[in-house]
Amino acid sequence: MTWIRRRFRPEQIRELSLLLLILAAVLFFGSQIDNYYSARTFNRISTSVAILVVVAVGQTLVVLTRNIDLSVGSIVGFTAYFVGAILAQHNGMAPWAAVLLAIGMGMVMGVVNGLIIAYGRVPAIITTLGTLAIYRTILVDLSNAQTIITASLPQWVLELPRTNLFSLAGLDLRLMVGLALLVVLVFQLVLSYLPFGRLLYAIGSNPEAAQFAGLPVRRTVFLAYVLCGALAGLAGFMFLARFGNITVVAGQGMELQVVAAVVVGGVNIFGGSGSMLGALLGTVLIATLEQSLLRWAQISEFWRDAILGLLILLAIATDAVILERLRAIWARTGIRVAEE
Amino acid sequence: MNRLWKVLSLLLIAVFLLTACAAPAPPAAAPAEEAAPAAEEAAPAASEGAMEEGVDMVLLPKFLGILVFDQAHQGAQEAHEEIGNPGKLEFLGPTPENSVQGQIEIVTTAATQGMDAIMISNNAGDQIVPAAKAAKEAGMTVVTWDSPIPSAEGEDFFVAQVDFDETGKVMADMALDILGEDGGKLAILSASPDAANQNAWNAAFQDVLANDPKYANLELVDLVYGNDQSEDSYNQALALVDKYPDLELIMAPTTVGIAAAAKAMQDEGLCDKVKVSGLGLPAEMVSYTLNGCAPEFALWSFKDLGYLTYYVTYLLATGQIEAKEGQTFEAGRMGSYTIEKDPTRDSGLRVLMGPFTVYTAENVEEAAK
Amino acid sequence: MWSRLGSRLRSWEGLLLGLVVAVIAVNALQTPFYLRLSNQINLFTLSIEKIIVALIMALIIINAEIDLSVASVMGLAACVVAYLHAQGVPVALGVLAGLAVGALAGAFNGYWIAYVGLPSLAVTLAGLIGYRGAARILIEDRSIGGFPDWFNRLGQEPLVGPFPVSLVLFFLLLALMLVVLHRSAFGRYVYAIGNSRDVARYSGVNVNRVKMTLFVASGFISALAGILLAARLGSVRGNTAEGFELDIITMVLLGGVSIFGGSGSLIGVALAILLILNLRNGMSLVNITGNTQTGVIGVLLILSVLGPNWARSLQERLQRSRRQTGGPGDGATRGAVPK
Repeated sequence: MTWIRRRFRPEQIRELSLLLLILAAVLFFGSQIDNYYSARTFNRISTSVAILVVVAVGQTLVVLTRNIDLSVGSIVGFTAYFVGAILAQHNGMAPWAAVLLAIGMGMVMGVVNGLIIAYGRVPAIITTLGTLAIYRTILVDLSNAQTIITASLPQWVLELPRTNLFSLAGLDLRLMVGLALLVVLVFQLVLSYLPFGRLLYAIGSNPEAAQFAGLPVRRTVFLAYVLCGALAGLAGFMFLARFGNITVVAGQGMELQVVAAVVVGGVNIFGGSGSMLGALLGTVLIATLEQSLLRWAQISEFWRDAILGLLILLAIATDAVILERLRAIWARTGIRVAEE
Repeated sequence: MNRLWKVLSLLLIAVFLLTACAAPAPPAAAPAEEAAPAAEEAAPAASEGAMEEGVDMVLLPKFLGILVFDQAHQGAQEAHEEIGNPGKLEFLGPTPENSVQGQIEIVTTAATQGMDAIMISNNAGDQIVPAAKAAKEAGMTVVTWDSPIPSAEGEDFFVAQVDFDETGKVMADMALDILGEDGGKLAILSASPDAANQNAWNAAFQDVLANDPKYANLELVDLVYGNDQSEDSYNQALALVDKYPDLELIMAPTTVGIAAAAKAMQDEGLCDKVKVSGLGLPAEMVSYTLNGCAPEFALWSFKDLGYLTYYVTYLLATGQIEAKEGQTFEAGRMGSYTIEKDPTRDSGLRVLMGPFTVYTAENVEEAAK
Repeated sequence: MWSRLGSRLRSWEGLLLGLVVAVIAVNALQTPFYLRLSNQINLFTLSIEKIIVALIMALIIINAEIDLSVASVMGLAACVVAYLHAQGVPVALGVLAGLAVGALAGAFNGYWIAYVGLPSLAVTLAGLIGYRGAARILIEDRSIGGFPDWFNRLGQEPLVGPFPVSLVLFFLLLALMLVVLHRSAFGRYVYAIGNSRDVARYSGVNVNRVKMTLFVASGFISALAGILLAARLGSVRGNTAEGFELDIITMVLLGGVSIFGGSGSLIGVALAILLILNLRNGMSLVNITGNTQTGVIGVLLILSVLGPNWARSLQERLQRSRRQTGGPGDGATRGAVPK
């Protein structure tokens, strides 16, 4: 056991506690729901995680720097809608061009956020509360109340959510899930090994100190928002492919879902600590709870949200208690306790 | 420092003035809002009333950005131009997330502005009653369409797209048609638990399933809500299929829900097992009807609904008809209607438009154009 | 340092005041209906519940916390009143029960935040989902109305001169909060904790108790607002007050309260409330509704901070170029992440 303590900090194995929580949830629902342990359940949960986790990765980048992006839901809706509208007009557009267009669209909105926050020095929550409303307003005003419909989209978009990377005994790994996992992996590597990753942590832990140390605070925060926007744009494209019918309310309220996933995933809302793996696990935990509650026949439609709220609180509290315990064990054995 | 502040304040104020002045009309407003008074002669009914200043009217949808409400707006515009009302027709709506408060605010403001009539597709249930009553006290004509005020307090009458009890029967007939004589299990995917018209339809559907022996083999197993959001409805549809492995039909009396459910069944390759039906827009449903995911669904014309609503509201506001049982009137191209007691509510009057059009592979392509 | 902060705050409020005056002037010029007394009262009444909750939200944010669950607590309290009414309990008792449930919900939030030490954003996000869910359990898909006359009159009719009771309540609460926040020891603790929780603790402030008190008050006041909303609308559904939280937070932030705690004043919040309500009312009167309204508020929110920031850096640049001192100036070292 000592080697574990020597090699890891408590924050690093907090992901383990999330994993335990997910396991507990799965075991519990498995005892309640018929046929729960099936490839089908895995497919459902994994596909519902895919879109959310891409946005959560972007949100994590921003939250690590002690900021927040509440406009992601509007960015997802905006890109889903307009990429859909453009694809409906130009059915022959190449797939890579459509994806790039979505990422680019999201990026532009991220640039606006980033400029105002990093260079205009407007607090993140004020800026993104504002752009949450502004992006949605532009969407509604330009849409003329038309809905993007599946029939108008090119065939490859419609087939995308059905495409499997591989399939094992009914256990599908959908292309979109694979893509999402790739995004998580890439950004986890960025956080762990690139200077940019370390900058995010440094700035989030103490913005003033980072500034005095001469770190490029503004550029880094700006870049975090650009990436967050780009990822939300990518998620917008996935949203379009998955749901096909896009109305002007697409993605509304997603910002709260994503913040919940990130917070449950152990990313400190005051910046400086957290990981992409945590964000992924947080998203998985919330999606597991949501999707399982939907399928729990004993639970009436009207009880679902109350239970979901309680379970989320329980998850956050349990996680905090476990982390506290771990810290205590580390402290007792005399190994340096990592400061936040 | 101080001077800069002043300059800045002035700048900001200028921005506000610009935003306030530059956009006095909502973007969706009619290009031909001010029909020339000369057109009045062409109007069949308006000639007798002394309506030189015209009747200012507000068309209030549940919220902005939904196609069917824009279609209703087109219908209202058509009637507006046909009658040649020199007054204004404003299409004002709240945002989706602020629908209830926004509707109440718009009704209250319309009364303050001295508008003459308001046509409400009510999304606030009875919560709109105080505002609607106040508007009536201020002399406005208050008509509901698409979704009524459940208690009927504060409205003159309701322009019903179809008979709410008949909706239940139409849904049951479609279910029977799809599932056949030996029946099967089905579930309802509704909009939100607070949508009054949805609740009325679901109740009528449940009622007819329970009481009419014709539908004895149709077993309703669940009622879930997708909140008129594509993503929620999609997830709910998949959850239904998992929860009830032998489910054969999802009935979604909402245009957003039915399209999302059909897409979900198609994506999961379940269309052979689980069919989708309900109320949908032909343009949105055509591909699913042709490939068999949603072989049959129904709807009425929202354009006609907007037209009829405008017409009858205008007649009432100009005193050409009264809001009383038995009153008959001519509504332009749509012909003759009668105001009657609303049998689907405890009190209140209605004008019944109807009928349903049931869409199948035969007629859906034509309607989708 | 303090005087500079003070003058900056004063300028912020000055800016807001200027904007309020400008908006009122534009409104009055644009439409003759605006200045009518009935419209002036409507303008408040239509959002009265939100602005009541904004007052306590200001204290919470100054204390460096946030309460996202307020709208759900409003809905829950309204649903408790309606549910009990439908069960045949007298409404007066129901109101007491609703208020108690609100205070309990606040205490529940407060417990996890103050004593367990969980972040308020996380706890109240769970509350936002959970309390709304609890309301849904009580109401299901029903709409409950038919309250006794006295209850409806409470929300719908002018009881004190031309003013409805909720408006009077708002001003009383504003006065009370002004005294508490700016003239009492408790208010100083609120600021102190918002500035630095640790410093406050070492100087002997009972941090936990202050936080607990604030969240209980937030629950109680939200419940009160929710019940007033039920009275104004005359009936209750499961989605009553849904989505109010972002509007409420917008008002507080526009009022100059820092999201990181420790600074801001109720005068600023009151001015921001006036600004938003008048702007919305003016736009409604010239038929700008829906998303355009929210969009304009969004632009206002950003510009109100961006403008002064630009002005400051412009001024700094001017001064620097006048003095011709090349080195890295004050402007470059100030935090890019605003505090």
